[in-house]
Amino acid sequence: MPAGNLARMVVANTLRSRRHFILSAFGIVIGIATFVVFLASTEQVGAVLEKIFPVEQVQVVAPRASLLGKDISKKLDDKIVEQIRSRPEVDRADPTAVVPRMSLAFPAFGRGDFEGNDLKFEVGGFADGINPDFVNDDDRTRELFKDWDGVASDPKRVACVPPPPDPQEEVIQSPPAPKGKASKPGVYYNPCPQPERYYCDEIDRTCHHRVPIVMSPTMIELYNGQFAKSHGLPIADVDFVRFVTQRGGLSAMRFSIGLGLTTIAGTNANISRGKVRRVEGVLVGISNKAMPIGMTMPIQYIQRWNRAFLGDDAATAYSSIIVRLKDRNQIAVFSQWLQDDLDLRLEDSLGEKFATALFVIRLVLVLISLVIITISSINIAHNFFMQVTERRRELGLLRAVGAAQIDVLMVVLGEAALIGLIGGVLGLVLGIAIASGVDWGSAHYLPRFPYKPDSWFHFKWWIVLGGLVCSTGFSVLGGYLPARRASTMEPAQALTQN
Amino acid sequence: MATVDVVGSARVSDKPSAPAPIVRLRDVTKSYGTGAAKTQVLRGVSFDVDSGELIALVGQSGSGKSTLLNVIGGLDQPDAGEVEVFGTDTIRSSDARRAEIRNQSIGFVFQAFNLLDHLTVLGNVILPASFARDASNVESRGREALRRVGLSDFAKRRPGELSGGQKQRVAIARALFNSPTLLLCDEPTGNLDSETGRDVIDFFRELNAKDGVTLLIVTHERRVSSVAKRVIAMRDGMLVETTDEALAAVHGGGPS
Repeated sequence: MPAGNLARMVVANTLRSRRHFILSAFGIVIGIATFVVFLASTEQVGAVLEKIFPVEQVQVVAPRASLLGKDISKKLDDKIVEQIRSRPEVDRADPTAVVPRMSLAFPAFGRGDFEGNDLKFEVGGFADGINPDFVNDDDRTRELFKDWDGVASDPKRVACVPPPPDPQEEVIQSPPAPKGKASKPGVYYNPCPQPERYYCDEIDRTCHHRVPIVMSPTMIELYNGQFAKSHGLPIADVDFVRFVTQRGGLSAMRFSIGLGLTTIAGTNANISRGKVRRVEGVLVGISNKAMPIGMTMPIQYIQRWNRAFLGDDAATAYSSIIVRLKDRNQIAVFSQWLQDDLDLRLEDSLGEKFATALFVIRLVLVLISLVIITISSINIAHNFFMQVTERRRELGLLRAVGAAQIDVLMVVLGEAALIGLIGGVLGLVLGIAIASGVDWGSAHYLPRFPYKPDSWFHFKWWIVLGGLVCSTGFSVLGGYLPARRASTMEPAQALTQN
Repeated sequence: MATVDVVGSARVSDKPSAPAPIVRLRDVTKSYGTGAAKTQVLRGVSFDVDSGELIALVGQSGSGKSTLLNVIGGLDQPDAGEVEVFGTDTIRSSDARRAEIRNQSIGFVFQAFNLLDHLTVLGNVILPASFARDASNVESRGREALRRVGLSDFAKRRPGELSGGQKQRVAIARALFNSPTLLLCDEPTGNLDSETGRDVIDFFRELNAKDGVTLLIVTHERRVSSVAKRVIAMRDGMLVETTDEALAAVHGGGPS
């Protein structure tokens, strides 16, 4: 039977029996709607979780140990880094497969201007350093996130006059000089070229590029979810870069860091007054490679500062080592080796636990929807058996005028496939409508909270395609036995049916 | 009344010079059911049909006439024996081959018309084209078939809008759509009034005489057997001698 004739006959037969179509397609519509909604929602929740907890890598830490109040934890140093790099579970060719992080090991205090507000915050304990090569989220970050003080010949590192000492010991952000305006007496203007990126360092009295900082998306979510509301500040756009661009660009997010300063009385008692100095930082990007709560800068800055304030030991001890394994299934082997040979461990990954929980939830939801689709497939089989019985005479006639068994089989299977396809499309439409309703409800009735997505659903192409394949496949499966019965019935007997 | 070549038993063409029959049956048996419920419907039936014949197959209800017609048309398979249609062994040939023969060379006309109500008259007539490998000019051929049965103006009607006689003419047009060599008719006038039935019989006779279409008509009615060139009688699944008494028994008080 030519394919065109088959298609025409299948469409005509399907359209002429609305009752049969509705009875058969109803279950498929419901099944596919739940199938795509479940998959799209778990997909979106998974994407949000990955934003919060990057799950593509593990973090090696030294178990905490102390003796008489002194930290005697194992030191994570370059030797350990090399040992980890040589493991077979790690891709040696990838320079960012093993990346050590180093925390700022002494007090520091930050101050900046945001939306006309004077922000003050602790930096000590909330800052770390990382290999700049590892942070390559976008072109701008790649260009700016590097060790500028390590650049041998920076033409902009010219001599300058730093601001006068601050009697309040608070760090003052140095503003750029207004164009075409003379300096006012008593007001310090940043004298450096490109003042939004360079500042005048008070120690060597030359212009330095501001310390490039990246922050994690978690910080933005915390700001939006809690900080902005409690302090009456504007909510940052979902696209944070766009948000800051509207406020003068990322370079406008500048702040000063007082190294050795703190608001916590006495906690910098070991820092000599002579070591205290001020540097300036600039936010250059948002990256999930940054520490979740705090700021991350190129590791060379942290190493230099730790060495200057605490000595060589502090400049060579890493706080953790990020390791990207070739295969996530090798985590167990790697973890065992860490414990047995190095006396180290993997940091408990909340992200991994969430990912596992999400995987199980997704599995359960998909199974539920598959059960619904299977039941609808059985329903289709039942309906088609009824149809075949009702249409015995018609099918017998088709055989009489020249239909082979395979033709009848294909006609009935084609009808099942078409019902499945249409049911799948309607199921998709219903699923998207349900998702839109949930999103509308979420936007209007759920309060804002960290990482609250604009949509709880992500209908990826493979979910849509999977829904259609599933609906058509299960429908054909349900129609197979009735189709076989239809094709193998004796035409002579079929034609005598009353 | 036309001259009727009444044969007592089936003619078996064994003459080497005779053209090959288009239908050849040998010792065909067929039963339905199993065990105690088993009913033998055909008991060793043998006969030939030559090209251009107009045969009336008569017999009482349950004698096996329709089953024999279905076996010839490939709508039913015998338990044993040999069936050759247009030189093809239809017992051993594939289902696809049997379907092709039905589509290209055989037309069926049923007592119950078997029209599909969801199709138009023209749609019913051209239904065989759906299964033809390369059907061309389908609609014009369908209209021509309708013209031949005098229903040119009914192409867009639905079967439900037609009288019994018109329905049977549509069924005949469908049977003629692919210009078959053999027309198998099962009680074609059984559901028609006498006048309409006569028209149908006249049409069959003309079809046989002018176009040389071979017809095998299962019937109870004398008026049908009266136009046949050969009458084959059946009783209890076997071919029997066709005597006037036997024919009278078969036809009873049926229309003449």
